[in-house]
Amino acid sequence: MNQFDVVVVGTGPGGYVSAIRAAQLGLSVATVEDDRPGGVCLNWGCIPTKALLRNAEVVHLFEKAADFGITIDRFQADYAAAVKRSRSVADRMAKGVEFLFRKNKITLFPGTGSLTSKNVVEVKGEDGASTLEAGRAVILATGSEPKSLPGVTIDEKTVISSNGAVRNEAKPKSIVVIGAGAVGVEFADVYRSYGVEVTLLEALPRIVPLEDEEVSTQLTRSLSRRGITIKTGAKVSAVKPGGAGAVIDTDGGKLEAEQVLMAVGRGARTKGVGLEALNIALERGFVKVSPTMETSVKGVYAIGDMAGAPLLAHKAMAEGVVAAEAIAGKSPRPVDYGNVPSCTYCRPQIASIGLTEAKAREGGRELAVGKFPFTANGKAVALGDTEGFVKVVADKKTGELLGVHIIGPEATEMIHEFAVGRTLEATLEEMMHTIHAHPTLSEAALEATLAALGHAIHI
Amino acid sequence: MPVTKVVMPKLSEQMESGKIIKWLKKEGDRVQSGDILAEVETDKADVEMEAFGSGVLRKILVAAGNKAPVGSLIGVIAEENDDIGAVVAQAGSGAPAAAASEAKAPSGAKPGMADRPAAVPPQPKSEDPAARKPSPSTGSESPGSRRVQDAVAAASVPQPSGDGGRVKASPLARKIAAQSGVDLKLIQGSGPGGRIVRRDVEAASTAPAAAAVAAAPALRPVAQPAAAGAEYEDLPLSPMRSAIARRMPLSKAPVPHFYVTSEVAMDRAWELREELNGLEGQPKISVNDFIIRACALTLLQHPGVNASFQGESIRVFHRVHMGIAVALEEGLITPVLRDVHAKSLAQIAVEARDLAERARQRKLRTQELSGATFSISNLGMFDVRDFSAIINPPEGAILAVGSVRRVPVVSDEGLGVGRRMALTISCDHRVMDGAMGARFLQDVKKLLEEPLRLLV
Repeated sequence: MNQFDVVVVGTGPGGYVSAIRAAQLGLSVATVEDDRPGGVCLNWGCIPTKALLRNAEVVHLFEKAADFGITIDRFQADYAAAVKRSRSVADRMAKGVEFLFRKNKITLFPGTGSLTSKNVVEVKGEDGASTLEAGRAVILATGSEPKSLPGVTIDEKTVISSNGAVRNEAKPKSIVVIGAGAVGVEFADVYRSYGVEVTLLEALPRIVPLEDEEVSTQLTRSLSRRGITIKTGAKVSAVKPGGAGAVIDTDGGKLEAEQVLMAVGRGARTKGVGLEALNIALERGFVKVSPTMETSVKGVYAIGDMAGAPLLAHKAMAEGVVAAEAIAGKSPRPVDYGNVPSCTYCRPQIASIGLTEAKAREGGRELAVGKFPFTANGKAVALGDTEGFVKVVADKKTGELLGVHIIGPEATEMIHEFAVGRTLEATLEEMMHTIHAHPTLSEAALEATLAALGHAIHI
Repeated sequence: MPVTKVVMPKLSEQMESGKIIKWLKKEGDRVQSGDILAEVETDKADVEMEAFGSGVLRKILVAAGNKAPVGSLIGVIAEENDDIGAVVAQAGSGAPAAAASEAKAPSGAKPGMADRPAAVPPQPKSEDPAARKPSPSTGSESPGSRRVQDAVAAASVPQPSGDGGRVKASPLARKIAAQSGVDLKLIQGSGPGGRIVRRDVEAASTAPAAAAVAAAPALRPVAQPAAAGAEYEDLPLSPMRSAIARRMPLSKAPVPHFYVTSEVAMDRAWELREELNGLEGQPKISVNDFIIRACALTLLQHPGVNASFQGESIRVFHRVHMGIAVALEEGLITPVLRDVHAKSLAQIAVEARDLAERARQRKLRTQELSGATFSISNLGMFDVRDFSAIINPPEGAILAVGSVRRVPVVSDEGLGVGRRMALTISCDHRVMDGAMGARFLQDVKKLLEEPLRLLV
């Protein structure tokens, strides 16, 4: 029996952050991981896809070199090399987590962990089994896995998930991406940049359906211009082998492609963790937790994707900190789920926080909405990257920042001034009085704020 | 169990510091949340200070008889084995709140950011707690023509949320507060470091008493020593007098008052009262108790009079909390009898007497000094025929009661002698009109003239 104060099952962004925070607070910590430290995020999700998307961007820059007066007769973009680079980036980040564990004296137990009682975790690994006893608490952070459609099996050959897509060094000639959320549009971008014929299907009436409607419209325009076929309101009834690889039956007819990427969402990994034996309550497939991330069983915490939406690494990290601090006897401020930024790294990038304009209007609230296009931003013009806009949705009476929606260059970096503003409860006025350096893309944020107040300068 | 800092509470809007009259618990005593820890003297009254946490009163940092600025640490509640060294040390460095602070700057006031007087003026000697005696009772009726009472948040004693003078609040909280008429000084912040955030203001603006009228900056008069044989002498303002002086213009100037007077035949009420007071084992009932009961019942029928002007709306109360002016030697205060509409005459008699008694002994709790929806001021015992009173915002009206006089009356049978009493209601014209005030008075009069209705 190995004894620790805290045992963390899963070392994705939720798990490893909670482990480090608990160790910082003087607790002895064990972690259990059945893959490499870092979880899906570092190994198979966020990080490697960002490496692939960077490749896609470089390819794009080469393609438009002529705009900058640079003549390139011929260039070759090797997709296998892009995947290899992506793997090496992921490896480096995973090693970084291992280093952080050593630095914080956190013991890593490779293997699959499951609860046998509320404070005992059995680890089954390749090198045998171990039993870990948690003196204070167990943190479950087993994450999520790609979902599929009913009757469709993901074989990672013809029908692939993001797990297959980040690993496959061979690119298909054609692919149908089912689901136009963040994962779907990011892979559509990568594949299209490497010359793959891409069809993007979405069951809802618009792509990136959780974003503001104007963002969806802008992205539809941008992706269509790049040769991606977009079909919205498309219901897939079956995916069968045939033709070039797979035949996809939709309510709008049959489609054929070499591969199908299933990007219809992710489901919590709650099986084999020992939840059932302890009667840990679930809610809509996710583990039910308190504001301090404790499950229905005292001393057992759950964080990250398995604990519910939004399924985002940074939300998992924030929850990890809350759980660790609660276990250490502090009284952490609970995660503010209304103030989690959401980022999609396709080109143009999308970033948003708070309510969409439509949501903000529900209940008849009077709004002040300001929008500023990057075409009127000096830095964006100089970069030659002017697609998109910044849109600020505020309460007309108080100037409260209800939501901000950015699509365009470096949108994912720009969102944070609004995240900070919302955390500090700044209003349009404080944002307006914040001097933004010139020339920067962030000036578009200032101008959108001014537009909401009715006096943008540069438009 | 967490360490609970005991800080000098802000018991009224203008309060900048308070004097510990005495500690009711000693170091080492176990205290529960809600226990009375100490008595604190403010510009208004002597107020009992409650504990906001449970544990052992480990440390008293400000001894009885000494003053401490609002928000400064005056004691520490913790468990026996908790380390309170850091908390106490912090008080020592950051908040010079201890005994020596009488003439020092309020804690946390730093050069360049002090937006209020740096020194607390010396208090007149007459306010020395040792020298003060309870004021003699001025009669069984509760007299008073003017009242002072700050609208202090009713539910709980607000903790200071800033570092003394400066209120820490988010821009959004400030905007919402300005729009809903909430005074940030009365709110406890729940954000980091006690910062007031949106949810705090929203919570306060839904609590009736928190919609306080912002007070003008405090004018602190300085005492001039009286020279022997001089032509005149400048008496220092007592804290209470200075509060009255600050407070009343804030009502009279911005609130458009109008007055309606009516005469009530009190013969039957007088007889009934004598009969009731002749019963054995019954509490003694005053004329004022009859009036309180009559007003409470009538206010339920006339919610428009039981109302408060809120800037962009009129708040109509469905319960009656009655402010009852009590004259003291050095001024007056208006304790509040809560939910008086649901109380019997006997209950009103007992509770009103208790409030008046404790008001004279300056033993009222903060929550007994705020939250009235309507007030009564009675100068009957001074043989006053009639008078008009000043409304105490945010209330919408106040009733001024004269004495019950024996006067010649003309009836069908000819000339006789009857008992008559004048009632004058002062109304906020922003909330109601003359006819509303008149109809209200008419119904009060009816109840008093058919006083058996007050017993059912």
